[in-house]
Parts: sequence; structure tokens; C-alpha cells
Amino acid sequence: MRRWIGPLAFGLIAALAVGYAAIAAIPYGMMKIAMDRLARGGINQMSQGPLATPARQPVVRPSPDLAYSSCPFDLAAGPVEIRVVPVAGRYSSLSIFDAATDVAFVRNDVEAGGKPYRIIVARDGQAVPPGAEVVRVGHDRGIALIRLLLKDPAEIGSLDAIRRQSTCRTVTKSK
Amino acid sequence: MKSWHRYAITLVGGIAVGLGGAWGLTRGGLGDGAIRNGPWTTSLGYGTKATDPLTRAMVARSGLLALPAKETLYWMARTDASGARLDGNCRYRLSGKPLDARWWSVTVYDAKGYLVANPANIWSVNGASVPLDDKGEWHVTIAPDRPADGAWLPGIKGQPFDLTLRMYNPGAGVRAGPSAAALPAIVKEGC
Repeated sequence: MRRWIGPLAFGLIAALAVGYAAIAAIPYGMMKIAMDRLARGGINQMSQGPLATPARQPVVRPSPDLAYSSCPFDLAAGPVEIRVVPVAGRYSSLSIFDAATDVAFVRNDVEAGGKPYRIIVARDGQAVPPGAEVVRVGHDRGIALIRLLLKDPAEIGSLDAIRRQSTCRTVTKSK
Repeated sequence: MKSWHRYAITLVGGIAVGLGGAWGLTRGGLGDGAIRNGPWTTSLGYGTKATDPLTRAMVARSGLLALPAKETLYWMARTDASGARLDGNCRYRLSGKPLDARWWSVTVYDAKGYLVANPANIWSVNGASVPLDDKGEWHVTIAPDRPADGAWLPGIKGQPFDLTLRMYNPGAGVRAGPSAAALPAIVKEGC
């Protein structure tokens, strides 16, 4: 039995190390899955998702009241510019999540005064356009998400043109 | 048995225990019992900068891309007021005063958290769609079949179901004391 003391201690250390590493890796794995699903519309581009129905449920507990627009971003080629156009009288918000799932930024339509606004998402040290509002993140990859609340799913037709005015693109030159 | 055999066995066992433990520890998420209010539970931990890896992993599994409490409070209910599991074959009365939030909605999901098809294509009710009575209260019937009158939220026939209450821009009082906030009552009327 004494010959098992060393191996058992080794196994315990392995269990703790693997457990800790797995817990640390879970957020990155979940975020990668979400990015891959959302990236069908393209990286660094704003995609307007259809309303959630039983046939279209990209995430667990999707809200049937929300129109989601998403921009999976990658800052490797430079900062990303996000322009948001709120819809009058409707709750909407922009939220930016990094690759570790942490929230880097949230702003709703009331906080924006109901007016369009522009955000630059950049890594530390990346040059950004002068005078721009900048959100610094610790990872290249992440997701920017715009939620637009509908009073009724039928509203989506009339609001679609406004929601398509919100954009996402790579800033290649710091003008 | 050679010495390295013993090390190999405990290494494989240790990896399995480590992976299983990590998955088990991060299951359930923060919505499960963190803050209780009648049949509803929520957490204030979503949509924040997690301070430790375990919290971050739990949030990633249960509320990926969820908003912080200032933007949205997510409440879940799996039981009625008496503590019985919500049953899609039964009729419930969901009612309350207007909630202290800019906007709210209640959505029906199956036990895994997904929408289920129904002929009416209705999965949620919201504050703008329910009229108030003389006492300033709203009422919704959750049942598999449409009631004779009043607002209706289809249940899921033949299955248990969950409710998610979303409160957008909740009032300061709700955020300061979520466990004492006035939330909708869920009362079973019959099966």
C-alpha cells in the first residue's frame, strides 16, 4: 500500500491542476463557440440576426422580444469602429464582451441621449483616431452586441431599416 | 505492477476527476439560488467583470453575453407560489402590479431553456401588452389552451416549463433590494 502514496499524491496534484486549468479555459471556450456561430455574417461586421423562434435559437434562453445585432470582432488588424443608431422610444443597448466573457462596455439609448454614437474598440497601445471615444480591451477577440426591444415581434419589419444603420468595421488608418 | 504503472493510473484518474470537478463546480450558474424572491431566483453577478475564475466560468455557462443588473435583471422560476414544479398541463394565474422597471417581459421556456412551438406563436408577455384592471393590476393566464378572455401565455402541453422574467433598467429600489422587490405572483388554478 505504501507504494501507492507517491502515485496518489501525484494524481491529486494532477486533478487540482487539470481542474483549475479547465475552469480557467471554460469562458474562452464558450466565447469561441458563440463567436463561431455569430461570425457567419463575417468578422468585424454588424449582422442583423432574425428574431428568436423555436426554429431559430442560437443561444440558450433567447429573448423573443429582442432584435439582436452582433459584431464578432478581431483587433489583430487594428481597432474596430462601432456606430450605433438608437431607435426612438425603444430600449436598446450596446454591450462589448472580451474573449474572457468580461464586460468591457455597456450603454443604453437613454444614456446616449437617444442620439447616434461612435465607439472605438482597441487593444492597449493601438493607435486610435483622435477625439474618439475609446474602449480598451485586453484581448484581440470579442463580441459587440446591440439589443433592440420590440413591443411586438411584428415591429421588426418597420424597424429593420433603422437597425441596419448601426455598423462595425476595422479602422485601418487613424484619421 | 511497475512503479510507472501506478503513476499512469493515478494520472488518468486525476485528469478525469479534475475535468469532472471543473464541470460540476461550474454547473447551475449564479441564477440558481443566489437571490430568492418567492418562486423567482436571480443573481447580480451577470455582465460584470468577474473577480475570480470560478465565477467567470459559472457566468459563461449560464449567462453568456448577459447584461449587468443595471441594464437587465434576469429572474427564473421553475415552481408556482406553493413550490410545485410548473406543469404545462396546468392553468396558472400570473399577476401583479406594474413592475419597477423601464420595461419587463415574461417568457416560457422548456426545462432546458429553449422556446417550444405553439400554434399561437406566443412565447412571452410584456408590460406594454397587458392591460391593468380597476385595482391597477395585470393578469395573464398561462395554460395549454387559450382562455375565454384576458391575456394568454401558452404553456407547454405535456412538459414541465420554466419562466424567465426580464426587467430592463430596473428601478434603484429593486437593484438595492431584489429579494424584497414586488414580483409577479404565480398561482395554480387547476390542471
